[in-house]
Amino acid sequence: MSEQTNVIKKIFPPDRSLMTPFNVTAGIIIIMGIILTIVRFTGGLAAVTNLDDNYGWGLWIGFDLMAGVALAAGGYTTSAAVYLFGMKRFHSAVRPAILTGFLGYALVVVSLTYDVGRPWRLPFPFIVSQGTTSLLFEVAACVSLYLTVLFLEYSTAALEWLGLKRVRHLIHKMTIALTIFGVVLSTLHQSSLGALFLIAPGKLHPLWYSSYLPVYFFVSSIFAGLSMVIFEGNLAHKYYHDTMDETHLAEHGQVTVGFAKGASFVMMGYLFIKVFGIAKDNNWELLATPYGIWFLVELLGFVALPCYLYAVGVRDRNLKLIQRTSIVVVLGIILNRLNVCLIAFNWYLPFEERYIPHIGEIGLTLFMLTMGILVYKFIVSRMPIFYEHPDYKDAH
Amino acid sequence: MESDFNILHDFMLHTKNITYLLIVAALVGIAAFWRFLSGKDRENDLGVEGEESKHV
Repeated sequence: MSEQTNVIKKIFPPDRSLMTPFNVTAGIIIIMGIILTIVRFTGGLAAVTNLDDNYGWGLWIGFDLMAGVALAAGGYTTSAAVYLFGMKRFHSAVRPAILTGFLGYALVVVSLTYDVGRPWRLPFPFIVSQGTTSLLFEVAACVSLYLTVLFLEYSTAALEWLGLKRVRHLIHKMTIALTIFGVVLSTLHQSSLGALFLIAPGKLHPLWYSSYLPVYFFVSSIFAGLSMVIFEGNLAHKYYHDTMDETHLAEHGQVTVGFAKGASFVMMGYLFIKVFGIAKDNNWELLATPYGIWFLVELLGFVALPCYLYAVGVRDRNLKLIQRTSIVVVLGIILNRLNVCLIAFNWYLPFEERYIPHIGEIGLTLFMLTMGILVYKFIVSRMPIFYEHPDYKDAH
Repeated sequence: MESDFNILHDFMLHTKNITYLLIVAALVGIAAFWRFLSGKDRENDLGVEGEESKHV
């Protein structure tokens, strides 16, 4: 059998049926996504979005970018915990977290090419007009650099799979430097995404608008990332249990409990600084309005409640409770970013002028999510993500 | 809650007063919450016989 056939069989194992319910659904979404992509790039933004002069940013920014970046924060939180704070007991969580972060950021950049009017101008901030006074320049610089960092961090797994030992060894030597760089870049751009809204005090509802917005975005990204690692770890254990080595299986419980403890504590801090924001601007009266009730739903239902549930789960070592709570936190972060970006934005406009996502925007968001899941499945079923490669035992 | 302020100083005084009280509450609350969060760990460290977890 030729070497080429071997490689093809390694990438596409012949013993697996392609006609599973998941693959059929994913296939339909991919076909729909390709059609929508053609419509987007031939018909322009108006063909597939409901964006207008009031809403320059819609679902692709509110969900794909804002929530996507926050939920991809597991990469820097996990690698910082393990490599910078010396919490080696969480080591088995690093590669899955880095992979999720890398795919999350990669999809953010792909979504951005759909959202900006002239995507071929995306490199302009670096090579034509720097615009260093703009927050968007900082976000663009950080996201592109951090995507590179995540790619390098993830690449060790791919290089082990490909058997390229020398390059893998070289990149592995840079782990600490990459981790520090990743934390610095994440601190910068996670907060800058919140700072983008400081320019619109008249448009964002006062309960969500605050001069602390950059702090809110950064702090919430920490527990979003930790919760995403718990959530993703739970799913991985359900579907990829067989591919995990003993270390990974043994550390799963303490990773879940340890991350829940960290997330719970950070959420408590977040809760307090959100209340400080209300006190500083004296917005107490607004809490009794419909938007105020919605704000309380977000703060109490998706921050205070999961904060307490995580704490109970940690005390009782109740993994089920922690895993279920992580779903609430992930949904809460998505809700928060959608609130800031869409729901509480232009809140004073009459309903008929408010933004409702176009079916094309929803379809392309589903397309991105499906692409992410497919690439994730492809990687984890082939590369050493949940186990140590036999040639590199104890080389991490 | 009172919202009639004649000058900026009134507003700042009012909001700062509440914020400082909240900061005291946060200092106490976060310390108490940490004790609640680490309660079982502390018991284990001290060798107190607690009920073994049924879940992990």
